[in-house]
Amino acid sequence: MNGIVKLNLLQFLLIYLLLLVVLAIMKKCKINQTKLLVVASMRMTAQLVLAGFVLTYIFKNPHPPFTVGYLVLMSGFSVYTVLSRNKDLNRRFKGVVALSLVTTGLAIVVFFITAVVKVNFFNPQYTIPISGMIMGNAMTGVSLGLKTFTQNIKTERGKIDTLINLGVTPQKILTPFVNTSLETALLPTLNSMLGMGVISLPGMMTGQILSGTLPTTAILYQIAIIIAITAVTCVSVFCSLFFGYRTLYNKRNQMII
Amino acid sequence: MTLFSLKGVKFKDIISYPNIEIEQGKTTFICGKSGCGKSTMLKLLNGVEAFDSGSLQYCGKEITEYDSIELRREVLLCGQSVYLFDGDIRENFKQFYAYRDLPSPDDNVIKDYLAVCSANFKLSTNCATMSGGERQRVFISICLSFAPKVLLLDEPTSALDENTSTELFENILRYCSKRDITVIAISHNTSLVRQFADATINLED
Repeated sequence: MNGIVKLNLLQFLLIYLLLLVVLAIMKKCKINQTKLLVVASMRMTAQLVLAGFVLTYIFKNPHPPFTVGYLVLMSGFSVYTVLSRNKDLNRRFKGVVALSLVTTGLAIVVFFITAVVKVNFFNPQYTIPISGMIMGNAMTGVSLGLKTFTQNIKTERGKIDTLINLGVTPQKILTPFVNTSLETALLPTLNSMLGMGVISLPGMMTGQILSGTLPTTAILYQIAIIIAITAVTCVSVFCSLFFGYRTLYNKRNQMII
Repeated sequence: MTLFSLKGVKFKDIISYPNIEIEQGKTTFICGKSGCGKSTMLKLLNGVEAFDSGSLQYCGKEITEYDSIELRREVLLCGQSVYLFDGDIRENFKQFYAYRDLPSPDDNVIKDYLAVCSANFKLSTNCATMSGGERQRVFISICLSFAPKVLLLDEPTSALDENTSTELFENILRYCSKRDITVIAISHNTSLVRQFADATINLED
């Protein structure tokens, strides 16, 4: 297999032309998010360029503190993103979400790196990109799960109050909300598995193939990472909601939302 | 016998209740302007809201000493906003009973409770297509069917005309007095209060 074709700056800049197409369609459809598109593309570019330099440095100097530092930063950023998208949560709920996201994310990363791939956990070449994929997907799942949960609770407030008045326990009332939100958070991952390999060649596999890895090796990694992503989404959303919903009522079973 | 006794009860520094005693077996109406704390008082009585200071006793014992869920089942609050599940009347009884971990009553029992609440509809009637007043009566009949010791009614006739309101109250009070259920109600309808109140609590005084 050949190594990857290196992009020169001009070739690379050509891809930005596609953003002009997006911009034109947004203007035509009066989608008032032009600023977001510009800011998001610039932030994405800046963050990835920075990540490129930082990763190059870390790969050249693979000291454990660098890997750990990157993981801490990644976990912190994912927690921050989830919580900033769900500002209405109470403090204890936020704590539960942060803890669930970080512990389940890291546990699955550790399992993946040390038990499945069987390399040193502090090897940045494996740990950093794999944790990025796992934490990123956990973040999206938890965000979606929480959004669904809080929105449903808001729209069904009348039902909740009525059942509380009639002497139904908050656990019994809120558990169905947890279950529905978990299902909503899981569906995109489950659906994406259906089309994998036929409709889409996922990012990690594409990357490996482009850089010269045999497709047969690339698929093994891809299958492993997809299963890890499904697991982390399920467990992190479940823990966030299952332990989080208990912060919505007190010992006297009074709702505190 | 005194059923409830409130002494110096304050709620979130917004509402200060006067000292109040509510007698068992007497139909008590709570009156007062909007926002004076009538609905909150009912919520304090069945413990779904907490008060900040003072003493609130039920049957001579502080309300906080009771198991909160048992208390709510005994002192049942039929709230102001009516909630019914999608589906017909039978399905609604079934769903509410499932939430309370009880087997759904059979059709005849359901019909009896509907009759008490002047809601003689077919059990297969879809609740979504009912009027506000009809839904309100079905909801009250579900609440009543749980056989509480105290029934708290928050504006039970808000969506009903004068005649149906009177008929509903007559039926409910007759049913409750036979079964030793004490009724505490909020109503803006002064003629209902005049007709049915054994005692009145005016929160504006």
